[in-house]
Order: sequence, then structure tokens, then C-alpha cells
Amino acid sequence: MEKVKISGYQLFVLVVLFEMGSAILLGLGSEVKQDAWIAILLGLFGGIIVFFIYYQLYKYYPDLPLTSYLQKIVGKWVGRLLGLLYIVYFMYVAARVLRDFGELLTTTIYNSTPLFIINTLMIVTIIYGVHKGFEVLARVGELYFIIIYLTAILGMLLIIFSGLIHLSNLAPILENGLNPVIKTGLTQIITFPFGEMIVITMVLPLINDKKKAKWVCLSGMVLAGINITITAVVNISVLGVDLYHRSPFPLLTTIGRIQIADFIERLDVLFMLYLVIGGFFKIAIFYYAALAGAVDVFQMKNQGKLVFPIGIIVLFASITIASNFAEFIKEGIAVTIYLSWPFQIIIPSILLTIAYFRNRKKQTSSL
Amino acid sequence: MKKWLIILLALTMTVPLLSACWNQKELTDLAFVLALGIDKGEDDMYHVSFQIVNPGNVSTGQGGGGGQGLPIAVYKSTGRTITEAARNATKKVSRRLYYAHTNLVVVSEEVAKEKNSLLHIMDGLDRDPEFRTTTELVIARDSTAEELVTTLTILDKLPVMKITKEIKATEAMLGENMSVTIDDFMNGIISTGKEPIVNGYRLVGIKEKARLAENLQTTTTDAFLAADGLAVIKDGELIDWIESNKARGVIWVLDKAKSTDITISWNGKKNGLSMVPIRSKTKVATAFKNGKPIINISIENEGWISEANTAIDLTDPKIMEKIQKLVERKIEKEVLSSVKEAQKLRCDIFGFGENVHKTNPKLWKKLESNWNDYFADLEVNVKVDSYARREGVRTKPFWSVLKFK
Amino acid sequence: MSILSKMLKNKQKKRQDDNYRQKQDPQKPEDLPILRDYQENISHLKEEVGNSSDINIREFKLGSHKGALVYVDGLASSIAIADYILETVMESNVPDEPVDIFQFMLDKTMALGSVKTITNWNQVYDALFSGDTVIFLQGCNKAISGETKGWDKRAITEPTTQLSIRGPKDSFTETLRTNTALVRRRIKSPNLRVDSIKLGAVSQTDIAILYIKGIANDKIVAEVKERLNRIDIDSIIGSGYIEQLIEDQTWTTFPTTYHCERPDVVTSHLLEGRVAIVVDGTPFVVTVPAIFIQFFQAADDYYSRFDISTGVRLLRIIAFLIAVIGPSVYIAATTFHQEMIPTTMAIAIAAQRENVPFPAFVEALIMEVTFEILREAGLRLPRAVGQAVSIVGALVIGQAAVQAGLVSPVMVIVVSITAIANFSTPVFAMAIAARLLRFALMGLATILGFFGIMLGLMFISIHLCSLRSFGIPYMMPLAPFNLKEQQDAFVRFPMWAMKSRPMFISKGNMVRTGEHQKPGPPKQSENQSTNGGEE
Repeated sequence: MEKVKISGYQLFVLVVLFEMGSAILLGLGSEVKQDAWIAILLGLFGGIIVFFIYYQLYKYYPDLPLTSYLQKIVGKWVGRLLGLLYIVYFMYVAARVLRDFGELLTTTIYNSTPLFIINTLMIVTIIYGVHKGFEVLARVGELYFIIIYLTAILGMLLIIFSGLIHLSNLAPILENGLNPVIKTGLTQIITFPFGEMIVITMVLPLINDKKKAKWVCLSGMVLAGINITITAVVNISVLGVDLYHRSPFPLLTTIGRIQIADFIERLDVLFMLYLVIGGFFKIAIFYYAALAGAVDVFQMKNQGKLVFPIGIIVLFASITIASNFAEFIKEGIAVTIYLSWPFQIIIPSILLTIAYFRNRKKQTSSL
Repeated sequence: MKKWLIILLALTMTVPLLSACWNQKELTDLAFVLALGIDKGEDDMYHVSFQIVNPGNVSTGQGGGGGQGLPIAVYKSTGRTITEAARNATKKVSRRLYYAHTNLVVVSEEVAKEKNSLLHIMDGLDRDPEFRTTTELVIARDSTAEELVTTLTILDKLPVMKITKEIKATEAMLGENMSVTIDDFMNGIISTGKEPIVNGYRLVGIKEKARLAENLQTTTTDAFLAADGLAVIKDGELIDWIESNKARGVIWVLDKAKSTDITISWNGKKNGLSMVPIRSKTKVATAFKNGKPIINISIENEGWISEANTAIDLTDPKIMEKIQKLVERKIEKEVLSSVKEAQKLRCDIFGFGENVHKTNPKLWKKLESNWNDYFADLEVNVKVDSYARREGVRTKPFWSVLKFK
Repeated sequence: MSILSKMLKNKQKKRQDDNYRQKQDPQKPEDLPILRDYQENISHLKEEVGNSSDINIREFKLGSHKGALVYVDGLASSIAIADYILETVMESNVPDEPVDIFQFMLDKTMALGSVKTITNWNQVYDALFSGDTVIFLQGCNKAISGETKGWDKRAITEPTTQLSIRGPKDSFTETLRTNTALVRRRIKSPNLRVDSIKLGAVSQTDIAILYIKGIANDKIVAEVKERLNRIDIDSIIGSGYIEQLIEDQTWTTFPTTYHCERPDVVTSHLLEGRVAIVVDGTPFVVTVPAIFIQFFQAADDYYSRFDISTGVRLLRIIAFLIAVIGPSVYIAATTFHQEMIPTTMAIAIAAQRENVPFPAFVEALIMEVTFEILREAGLRLPRAVGQAVSIVGALVIGQAAVQAGLVSPVMVIVVSITAIANFSTPVFAMAIAARLLRFALMGLATILGFFGIMLGLMFISIHLCSLRSFGIPYMMPLAPFNLKEQQDAFVRFPMWAMKSRPMFISKGNMVRTGEHQKPGPPKQSENQSTNGGEE
């Protein structure tokens, strides 16, 4: 592990940027139509509960990342194997986000540019950032946090002044009852984006004030959740339920609607600004988690050596993961069931149970 | 140093790949398509007219001087789908057709009336990332779309600007047309509780002269474009037109009316007074009686007296109140007649169905399947509140002091 | 880049070798003691300086004692030597009884402010070459050096590169002492420390390190001294040398040290806990550590009211952004994102570009390069010729190129706006960084439009965040974010609200303004004025 320390505020910023990351771009919870925002809030609620599992584990091992305490909890070799699986999982998700990102650009603006080029350029930027170290990432995060908020407020004002918001699109609330909403919220949105907080377990030991960890992460999640909810509400009220459901990237369509005085229109750039920033942090943090995990599991001294290889793997994985967008989305649903649930919720819960008994034994024996 | 070398190598590896500029398109290689005109020929193919701007002849700046040639050029091509037609057009145009600045899509009445013809062009427009779905949609009345797209206009160099600006101006000043974009249209098509309306446009005058430069040399142009009526679309095809006065009622209900003029008679004098509302707000609410929905429309507007062609004391509040009453009744009548018209057509262009859906989703589930039939017998109440706030820069009209009457 | 760096490294190695050799056969004479016989001393001196014509040797007699006086013509003031040494020497009566002639000379004849006894040759050379007069006496194995520095110096003039409207009009000169005095005059505190060292194996340049004890962070002061002492170079000709040798990061276009020619700016930097390095022979004083936002703070920001200076500072930052991304946005918008431009404007631009033979990137590149050449040419030309160049430039760029149809008028507008925006950065070092980055971003914009620009900006910001200046993160009050330090970042708070010094630089005495400094009318007079209003 790097010997860096980040402040509570820096972690907060990273959590917000990471959680918002690609979630804001996609039509989250569009299955439940106008109630998507309720589903998101429910997902946030579930995500907070899941986070407490991670936090409890962190309290047992405040100085260790996930891959290290895995070895302590389930034994060296099983732990290492699990750690390896986690590394692969992190890289896979990083590749997926990168693909998301590339797909978005190639479907909208750069429709005749090869996906590979766009992904390569993005990953080169991320490699550069990760290469500079986590501390630099955190600082860049602070810088862009402000920028993102300013652009978000600007975008919001533009949307409002264009008279695009029709809150009546949100009615009727809970048309089909609460069940489908709960189902979407607690099976899908809980894992994406909120369950992805599992990555933060890799960087939690870096925080300099251990007491702050809990509130920093929680407030970050809540803020991100609220932002995603607001975005969903705005998207639905601008586009209407139907278009929200039919657009792969509703936010882009929403921003495309802005028209003020026949002069300010087609502000895709604003969107791109957000896209590069959000994509950058989401991928970079997954990437860093995989990197730190690999250094930890293989007990390497210098993490600089692994930066480049992992970046290349993520890049090629992002290209070969699926041959077209439809396949990619289909895979995404399988990921939720076969990867997100085990890695984000099931394994950590089992770990917590074992850790609980181990630590109780330790306490009683020490008494 | 070594890792730098690796990063450097990776960067240099990407450089040859970057030398190709895939999405780069120079401005001078683009043909800005400002309007699309879509007709259907007897060969059952779409005949698409592309109105392309000729930048040098529009801009009055350097080089062109403006007015040397015609500001637009129209190319035509055919195809079984819109995409095919668009690709076929490249055989005739030296530049890449660029749709991001397309502001108008004109569809001929023929296409609109034919089953599914209108719907067949929509997805191509909706899906293309370059094309804006905020583009205005217009149906050409009594003429082909091509004729509409090829017409030259005087005041605005770009005919497209004339049409889009005109629709907006009419929406704001008269309230007989309203801006209908591809988006609005699609929303109406998809929704079960609302049917779309589309503006009608007509080429008035000698059609053959519309496309000639000499049409621009006279003060009274031989052929010009004018908005005319609202097309009612049901199940994706045009079923009828709603004409001027009744169209205004539709715009009132849809809460798009900003300003218009209401002319009433006073003391037996026909067309004695004119009131111009400057602000208007329409609320549609659904009430339920015996499990049946009732639509209550309440319109609230305020305005000023713009004309009084009779002896009248406009400073008297009581008289003003009376004027307001008259105006209210007039608007009420107009709106109700529009509603009746739509009910006769069995086509819910007002979105009452959506309103029912939002207030009572359970009932809606039962009504959804044959809402338009249900709509025909729907009870609709209209309530208007008008406020004449002021009366211009004169109090009593000169009629009051006129000796001869 | 890395190949370049390798080559550079080799070169550095070679240079180090050279240095090493120089030390082996030193150009500076060995540290020999002064001999008793003054004649021998003189001949030794002549031998060493090789009959240099500017070394003046005058022999004299003090009573019965012989001696010689040596000075460098031009460095020492001949009037001072004549009036305060020679005259007294000639007029003094040496008692007949045997006296310690050296002490007598020191006490009775040297009418100078600073007189020192020196014993070896290195001191002799030091004294000579800094304009002092050295006196050898027969029979003494030591010499007297009297301060007669009197070379022609440039007078203190108005600053030429950093002008201000309300600030003081003096600027540093090439003389070290003048410069330290200019600062000392502004900080009348015993805590202002002036530490001196000499750098440059051959040039022996005087360097002064200024800081305020109790305000400056001792660690930074020690670090500055350590880095300065580590410098091993033959000469320091300007403060730019020092900057390049002590900065944290070479591979960057951004300046990580600050330099200025305004004593008031250096003073305020010292009061913020920074360390100033004054180099003899340069009118530019280097201050460290430097942070990004500092390059957008101008002296006038502090002399005018806070609302105005905040607005102006924001304007400067926007101008900097324009200078960096201006042409690339033009390229991206006209070759990738034509949908962004409003229709009428797009048509207008298209009409202008209709006959331009170049693609947008080439057009922009030609114009930008032409402008840079013009600027570079104008910079160093005599003023009279410079004007001619600018006229030719304006005609060529503005008129002829457009009329010939080689360049579109919009491009001229873009280039001019960029250029003007670039000039509004107060510090040249930062402005030049923007110029370099602009070209890189233009390339990226050509390849991938706004996405390219965004990636470029991302790269730049990662780079900025990874920079440090003497251990201080370069983007300091922004990343890491510090709410309190926002008092002097994008917004300048009112004077009374800037209560403390920047925490990340200074240490110790943090209080800048006292409590209750917010000005306002006195309460009584407030009543009076309301009364007055009623009357």
C-alpha cells in the first residue's frame, strides 16, 4: 500500500463523485417509470444498510484494506483467492464503466470514431492520474467537485429557464403499487451505484481521521443519492416517462432540450464535461482498488510496476466485453445477479459474521 | 524513468491511430439541411426534398455580399425509407448533408392521411443523434411538401426562419397555431390519453412562381406561405382539420395561448369592442361523479381594451365588469365549440385522458383501451375569468364626443 | 520525452564532471596567507590577475612606512579613496617612536564606514572585486580592506514589467544591497533576516535569503538554504538560474517559483511567510513557495477595494482560461460540434470560411504561430522598430490575410481575443505556460473535438494537482480545499476579514489583522446624521 493519507473531506468528495459517476448518465430505475426516483431513494436506503456491513468490518480492521483482512478472516490461502477474485471484479467493473463511457460517446457525438480510440485516450488519462498516486486523485477530486457543482447548478438553471420542467409528468405516484418499486430499488439500484461502495473498503485505511470515516462515507452516499434522485426527477419531468424509458442516456436528451433565446442550445458540451469527470473518477477508483488489491495480495513493494499492466487489461477488457451495445446491456443484468450481489453483499455479510465470532473469541480469551 | 518510457511508448503507439480524424467535418464540407419536405409518390416511395442553405448568399459579410444568388437550394431524392432517401441524396449533393440545424420538417397532407406513412418517418428522425427532435413539424395543406420547401420568402432570407418564427409569433399574438415539435408529436402518438395536433401550412398564390427569384422582386409576392389550421391526428393518420376560430379554442385548452384578440358587440353595435388578453392561464382538472370523470377547464386571463368603436365610458368599473362578463362568455363559447368539434371527431387532442390517468390511475386502467370513444361523450365544463385591467392611453373613445352618430 | 531527459541527464553528468575538474585545478587561487613584504604581495597580485588593466595599485608612504593601496577601477569610488584614505594618509603625522603601524593606519587614517582586517588572499580578492580597497603595509602579514564600493548603479526606476496603478512606483535594481534595502525599508522589524551566501564557482555571485523569523516556516527556510547550498554551478548570472536549479519539478510548464521586480510584492510575500531570494545582478527577486492562484494576484488587488479586486481577479482567471482553450474551442466547434453553434451564426461562419483554403486547424495554427512570431519579434526590438513591426503585423494579419481569402475574419477575432486574454495574466511565467498549452489543446481539439479538450484539461489538472512547491501543494487553497484560505484565492476578502496569514505557508505568528477591524461610522455620529437628516 501507498503511504498516503487523505483527509475526511477528500474522501467525502471522492465518495460523491464515485457514486454519481456513471449513475447520473443512465436512466436508473426506468422499469418503474415515473416512480424511478422513489426506487432510487429506496436503493440509497438499502445501500446505507449495506455500507454498515463494510463499516463494521472496517471497525474490526481499521488499518487494513479489504484484501488484507480477507486473509485474516478466512485464512491466508482462501483469503488470497477471494482477494484475487475481488481484484478481477474491480477490474471488470472498471472495464464496464469504461465501456459505458465509450458507448455513450460513440452513439451520440463520435459516431464514426472507433470505440477503441476513445477508450484508449480515456484510459491513458486515468493511468496518468493513478500513476500520480491516490493523494493526487483526491486533490483532483476536490477541484472537480466544485466544477461539477457549478455546472450542475448552471444546467439546472438553464433547464428551469427554458421552461422544460413539467412536474405533472411525475404523476401518478405509485401507479402500480409499491412492490415493483421496492423490487427495483432493493435488487438493482442497491447494487448500482450504492453497493459499489465496496471499493471504498480498499481506500478507507488511508483516511487520516478514523473517527470521521463513517459520517464522511454516509454523507457522501446521501448527497450522491439525492443528486441522482434530483437528476431522475428532472429527466422524467422534462422528457416524460416514455422517453425516459426509451433513452439509453436520458440526461443527454434532457440537456439537448435546452433552448434559450435561440442562442443557447444543444449544450452537449456541458454533458461531456460531466461525463469525462464522472467517468474518470469512477474508473480511476475501481482501477486504484484493483491496483492496491493486487499489490497487497501479491505482496509487491512497488505499485508503480502494476499501474500500466492493469490499465491495459481494463482497456482491452472494455473492448472485448461485448460485441454490441445490446449484448453489453444484457450482460449488465447478469452482472447484477451473479457478480454484484455476491461481491457486494453476500461475501461481506459472511465475512462480517466470521469476523464477529473471531473477534468475540479474541475478546473473551483476552479477558 | 522506465515507467515513463512505457507510458511514452503507449502514447506514441496511439499517435498513428490518431492521424485519422473520424468525426471531423469542416464547415465548408457540410451542407446545412434547414428543412425536410416529405412527399409520397405514386411509386410508393418517399420523395424527400432537402432544403439546403447556401451560406455565401445569406451572410452579408465578407465575400458573398449577399443577395447575389438564392439563399437556398433544394435537392430531391427518393427512397423506401427516409434513410435510403437521405443516402440517395448524396449522389446529387457535393457536400455531406448535415441535419443538426434542421428546423423544420414538412409532411404533405397525402402522407399524413395515409395509414402509417407518417409514422414510418418518425423513428429515423427520432433515433439519429444529429437530428434535433425539437424540430418543428408542419403539414402542407393542398400542396406538396416540396412546394412548401422550395418557396422563397421576402422578409426572412431563410424560408425556414419565416415558418418557425411565424408559428411562434402566432402562438404568442393570435393563438391559432402553436409550436409542435417532433417530440410533442411523438409524445402524443405514444400516449393513450392524448392525440397530437400538427400545424397546417398552405402555399397561397401562384404556385409556379414560388420558387423563382422574381417572386422576391415584387412587394406583393405572387406566392407566399401562411399558417392555416390545425391537423388532428388519430392513430397516426390525419383525420380532419380544425380551422381558425376553433383552433384558438384548442390552444386555449392546451394552455399555450398567450395573447389573442376577443371582439364583442356592445349595445347592439357589432364588433364594438376588442379586448386583448396579455396573460392567460388554463387549468384542466378532473372531477368524478358516480365514478365517471368530468373535466373542468378553468381559464383565467387578463388584458386590456385595445379598441372601442362605440360611445362607452371605460372609466366606469361597472361597465368594465360587464365587458369582462361578455368576454368570458365569448371565450367559453369558443372553447366549448372546439371541444365539441374534437368530440365529434372522437379524438382527445386535449390530453384529458392523461389528466384522468394522473388523478385516478385505477379508473384509467379500465377506460384506457377505448378512451377516444369515451371522450366523445365526456362532460366538459368551462369556466372563464377575464380581467380587463386597463384601456390603453385614452379613457373615453372619441365616439363619445362625436356629434353625428 | 524520456530520451530527451536521458540526454539531458548525460549532459548534466558531463557538467558535473567539468565542475569536478574545475575544483581539481581551481581558477580561484589557493587560500594563501598574506606575506610580510608588501612588494612581494604586489607582485603576487600582479601575477595572479595577469596585469589586468582595471586593477589600480598606488604606493604610498605613511611617515617612514611604505605601503600600497589596491582597488579595482570602476568598482571602487576613486573619490572616496582620494578623500578618505589618501588624503588622511598624506596629512597624518606619524609619531617618531616605534608604533604598530598597522593599528595606526587602521585607527587614524581610514575615514571610512567599514574597515576590516584581512589575512589571506581569498579575502583580498573578495574585497577587491566587490569594490573595496585593500591596503598592504610593509612588514605586516595582514591587510586592511576599506569599504569604498562606488560603481555606477542604475537608479531605482519605475517597474517595467509589473506595472500598478495605485502601488509604489519603485522597483528592484541590479544591486543586491539596494534591493535588500528596499525591503528593509518596508519591514522595520528586527525579525527580518537577511542571510547571505555566495554561489557560482567562478562568478561568486552574492545571494541574500530574506525571511521573517517567527512568520516564515523554519522548515521551508531550511529547505531553501539546503537547496541553494546544493547548487554547484560555475556562475549565477540571473535569478532565473536559481529558479531553475531549486524548483521541485522540471517537467512542467507551470512556474513553481515566483519572481517579481516590485519590492511591495516581495514585502507582502515575506509577511505571508514566504522566503525571498535576492540575487546580485538581477532586478527580479525570487520568492518561494509559489502556488497557482498567486500568479493571478496583482499588487493592485490589495490597494483597491475588495469587491473590485475580486471582480478583476475572476476576470483574470477567465481570461487565462480563454487564453488556454480559445482557439481549440473554435476548432472543436467548427469541425466537430457544428450543432452547438446557433443556426444563423453557423451559416455566417460557414459563409466566411467558404473560400478559405485551409482546414480550421491549419488556419488556426497559422494565425497563432504568426501571432507568436510577431510578439516574439516585437519583444526584443528597439521601441521604434517595434512599432513598425506591430503595424506590419496588424496589416498582414488583420487586413491582407482576410482580404486575400486565406483566413476567415472569425479566426482573426479568435486569435485577437486569445492574445489579449493572454496579456491579462499578471505574471509572464504563467502567461507563457498558457501559450504552450494552447497549442497542445489545439491538437487535441483537432483529433477529438471537445472530448479531446476535456481530456487535455483533465491531464493538465492532474498535473497541476501533482505539483508541489517546496512541499506546498501547488493548487493549495483549492486542492486540498481549505475554506479559511479562500480569503485570498478567487475572492479577496476585505482587509479586515483577512485575519490570518496563509496557514499552509507561515508558521508561528499568524495574526494579520486584529479583532473588530471592520470600519463603520461611530455610533454617536450616526445619531447626529439622522438628526441632521430630519432637519
